[in-house]
Amino acid sequence: MNLLELKNKNLQEVNALLGIKDRDILVERFCALGLPSKKSEEYRYFDVKKLLEPEYKTLNYVPKTPKTSDKVEIVDGVVIALPKGMRVYNDACQMIDMDHFDPLYYLGHLLSPQTIKIELDGDVEVEIEHRFTKSDALINYRIVLYNQANRHATVYENFISDDIENTLVLYGYDMHLAQDSTLRVVKMQSMQDAGYGMVASHKVNVAKNANAILKSFDLGGDQALQLLKVELAERAHVDAGHLLYLNEDSKRGTVSQIVHVGEHSTSKQEAKNILDGKSRGIFDALIRVEHSAKYTKAEQNSKAILLHEDAYMAAKPQLEIYIDELEASHGATTGQLDRKQLFYLQSRGISYTEARKMLVIAFANTLIEQVKDTRQQERIKASFEEAFYKGNM
Amino acid sequence: MSSVMKIENLQAKIGDKQILKGLNLELEPGKVHAIMGPNGAGKSTLSKALVGHYDVELTGGDIIYKGKNINEMEPEERALEGIFLSFQHPVEIPGVNNAYFLRTALNAKRKHEGKEELNAAEFLRLMRDHLEMLGMKSDMISRSLNEGFSGGEKKRNEILQMLILEPEVIILDEIDSGLDIDALRAVSEGINKMKDGKRSFLVITHYSRILDYIEPDYIHVLKDGRIIKTAGPELVAQLEEHGYDAIEEE
Repeated sequence: MNLLELKNKNLQEVNALLGIKDRDILVERFCALGLPSKKSEEYRYFDVKKLLEPEYKTLNYVPKTPKTSDKVEIVDGVVIALPKGMRVYNDACQMIDMDHFDPLYYLGHLLSPQTIKIELDGDVEVEIEHRFTKSDALINYRIVLYNQANRHATVYENFISDDIENTLVLYGYDMHLAQDSTLRVVKMQSMQDAGYGMVASHKVNVAKNANAILKSFDLGGDQALQLLKVELAERAHVDAGHLLYLNEDSKRGTVSQIVHVGEHSTSKQEAKNILDGKSRGIFDALIRVEHSAKYTKAEQNSKAILLHEDAYMAAKPQLEIYIDELEASHGATTGQLDRKQLFYLQSRGISYTEARKMLVIAFANTLIEQVKDTRQQERIKASFEEAFYKGNM
Repeated sequence: MSSVMKIENLQAKIGDKQILKGLNLELEPGKVHAIMGPNGAGKSTLSKALVGHYDVELTGGDIIYKGKNINEMEPEERALEGIFLSFQHPVEIPGVNNAYFLRTALNAKRKHEGKEELNAAEFLRLMRDHLEMLGMKSDMISRSLNEGFSGGEKKRNEILQMLILEPEVIILDEIDSGLDIDALRAVSEGINKMKDGKRSFLVITHYSRILDYIEPDYIHVLKDGRIIKTAGPELVAQLEEHGYDAIEEE
């Protein structure tokens, strides 16, 4: 399959190319937004063409009977293992957002009519492991994550790949946090020579009094973009943090829209970016406060450290506000390591190279230490240090 | 007695401004040298020049340490060779654990000296006594380096580093600024503990208060980028009474 063939096509043509019918509303949305290109606002800093132009093998998604495991294991988009008693099944997504900004959100749904539905109906901790094993393949799947009312769940998400190359992964979540629930999602992805590129397009609905804590840790090289839309109902809260460490000529980052719909809803978005080599970091984030969202509190911040003169940070924090009764702030800084701090460490006999590493790790740690589980926190720290040390040998 | 550090005709500028204009000074082993002088005389520039601070550009003269010219030496090499500056305003470094930082610094020095590195348990044992003596709470070492520390806590932390690293030339830049009496006493006790007849101290201060606690052997008056007078501790009283303007260049 060549995804570029979908460029500038109408409803009938897309239906024919994808071999689908009865999903015209989604196809229309996809056609209206158009296949992403360098000219698309959301993709202008990301080399999407490079990911879309290869001829990919498409995969047959045949559901398997999952074996028992201590985690949810998804291999090439198919669930192969589950913790005992966990409710996971294949089902059509009933709550597709018809106003998402990302065309690949719709393409993902069109290519994956059957989603992996995970119901979190207890105060649980779940690990989801995504594994990719196929080269030259288009791996597409979507997950519906449903957190029941009054429940407080945590999901740790990891990615591994076999010795593959030239694969594109299109995946994403439709998350639904029911009233008074809390969902923490900690995503950890290290992609140094992983052999795949990724576009992850998510939608998160946060109901009244619910609390979404979304932390992602993206380390290493390659091309990946996460596109995130969050809708907040009355007194709902989202805390979205993103650590990015890039090296070589990778291009990665986050494009997001946080939409305050309900009164007294609150959002906090913090991005920390460490860019080395010729890499490009992306933080294109919009907070929109609707007329209905009086007394909103919104906070958005991106900090970037450039470790190489060829590294580049595309930071675009934006506020779109339709009311007066709110508190909102946003900002972005891009700079180098603090010279005073470097000197202080050196003045105690610590080499320049070691001092630089200590400061970079410290910058990252302020976000990593927000992960409550000590074991997970240590694992992320170790992965970060491994990725950073590898890039700085 | 031969000097441990000899500063000859030192000239230095910060930006376009010439601050040190031919400064001469010799530090004797085991002695406490106090540098006093008015604002803008060049006291802090001197301390920065000795530790290789990036702000300071040497435009002439030599710094000879243990017989070797260190003008071009990197800051970390100077530290490993035994030169220590207690900063007037220690920086805060969020995310760098104080104990981890100190152990890294100590192990860098031990490695440089060909000694075995200390593991975490050995290091904590070493630190425990120092913390108690300085009146520092044990949680201060598990916090980020200087982050959220009061002025007094930052200065105690500087002295803790000095005690752990055991340098040979100790430069104390305005160590008494911002300290209450109790903190001043604790900090002075830490400094006096290091006086072993071999280490040299360079105490940079505006006021004589700290010199009541750390008895100096020499007082040097620094004015307009040069040492204009050197005398014994009796000079302090004269400075207190008549001020710096009354001092004539020798």
